Amino acid sequence: MYGENAGRLRAELGVLLSQHRVQLRIGGGGTHTVPVTTTTDERQQIGQQIRRYRQSALAWCHQGTIAVAPTAVSALVRAPTNPFLAASEPHGALHAMQRTLDHTVRTSTATLPTLDELTTPQALPLVESWRQVARAAALGEHDFTTGLGQGRLDSRQQQTVISDISAVVRALVVLDQRYARIPGWEKLSHADRLGWGALACALDASLEPPDYSVDLRGWRPPSKLITGPAKPGLLGVLQAQHNLIVRMRTFPNVLNLRLVVDSQRLLSGSLSKLAESGEPDLAKKWSSREQTYKTLQQTLRNVAGNIGRGNLAVAEGSNAVSRSTALKPDAELDPRALHGLDKLFDRLDNRIADVIEDGVRRNTYVVRVSVPELAADSGRMIAGLAEQHVPFSASDRLDLSELIKSCLRPSASPLAPPDAARSRAELHAAIVHRPRGRDNSIEM
Amino acid sequence: MLIDHAIALTEARSHVAALADRARSIEASSAYEHVLFELDWLHDDDVPALDTTGLPHDRGMLLAGATAAIEGLIGHGIDALRIELVLAALDGAWDLDAT
Repeated sequence: MYGENAGRLRAELGVLLSQHRVQLRIGGGGTHTVPVTTTTDERQQIGQQIRRYRQSALAWCHQGTIAVAPTAVSALVRAPTNPFLAASEPHGALHAMQRTLDHTVRTSTATLPTLDELTTPQALPLVESWRQVARAAALGEHDFTTGLGQGRLDSRQQQTVISDISAVVRALVVLDQRYARIPGWEKLSHADRLGWGALACALDASLEPPDYSVDLRGWRPPSKLITGPAKPGLLGVLQAQHNLIVRMRTFPNVLNLRLVVDSQRLLSGSLSKLAESGEPDLAKKWSSREQTYKTLQQTLRNVAGNIGRGNLAVAEGSNAVSRSTALKPDAELDPRALHGLDKLFDRLDNRIADVIEDGVRRNTYVVRVSVPELAADSGRMIAGLAEQHVPFSASDRLDLSELIKSCLRPSASPLAPPDAARSRAELHAAIVHRPRGRDNSIEM
Repeated sequence: MLIDHAIALTEARSHVAALADRARSIEASSAYEHVLFELDWLHDDDVPALDTTGLPHDRGMLLAGATAAIEGLIGHGIDALRIELVLAALDGAWDLDAT
């Protein structure tokens, strides 16, 4: 997940930025009270290792700019009124930073760290922090291809990612200057340009309020089927509902989607009755969900679409219904299982909303035409068969968008993690961190 | 599909859908909905839209209308055995609705 990896990256960079006397931390000289424990060659090797780890962080920044640049619009430029048109002007500051990052990454003599270097703990705390930075960056690169790139982010989320990248670049520039006295250290090429580009991007991004919900996006480990015999009681319903969500990854045809919708209507209805005594709030919510699925079911009667599968999803939906109807009315239900089921309901609702929107957009799902339109007189001797289906865009009879927006996706914007703002503020504070002297004054 | 077939099918679907909407319990409504799936599945989901104009309010009349329209599909090349199975499912849903 983006928030996890970028947060780790920021936290470790914050630790590194708070460490000032670098030579002392790698066993070098600097003060007569601490003995020198490493040779110049050893410190040179440590420097090379740090540069390999740093290369990973630079690659993260570069990949990030590549992912968001195609659709990023500067806050200084007015966005096009037509959302299907690209911005007339590219994001100048971001492109400048991207070009400089590209140059810096290419001209660096350091290679990316190997898997062994990423996974083997380092003895020196400073180098260990760099390893954690590289590890988070390597993992974070997956986020840009799954959930953050290709125009998946809205404007505010894009600005948040750009701001995050800028902060990491500025941290790397500051550290680069601080590490200059390590033997054999190779400074970042065009470090000044990088710093200015990052500052320009950060200032541009600060013109819009951040949207930290982006932290919940990115790569997640895929959930697997819960195989084996049916679990007893409510756990069996949870098992089937979980498996249904996994099976719904396959795009269903309309007939199978209708069967899944029917199963959810029945399931919500029967479980809301069971939860009435113990969890009245959930019972009310699920009763409302039953109504939503009833409306959806009625609307889908006039929708066609043979493309897709979804047989396995139907089977799991049927399992969930049969297991819920087998529950005794006076059975004690575990509140944790009920709340777990509620989360699964939300996830499935979102997936069904995605499926319908996808089907409508790609014309995989089309609207049925009524008989009077089919039998319309074309003026010919033998009436030909008229179009039996029309795309949603050409039909004014059906509109599923309102139902999806108000019922299936009531909370359109997920809440941001609680420590999202704090993590960013800590890195910014660390970038301008100065050590305190003996008289508690800040060294300049 | 010929126009006559489309009209008969629309009538059958519309009556069954109306029965599903007016069912007394969620289980009965689902059972009617499954009859609708059967009809759509018989036609490879290539069916016209519902037409709710002029449908009777009485559920008994809706059942009679649905039964007659489904039986009428036999004349349009649909296998008689499969039609019987749909009618059996409709009867089952009606019984569930009556209890």
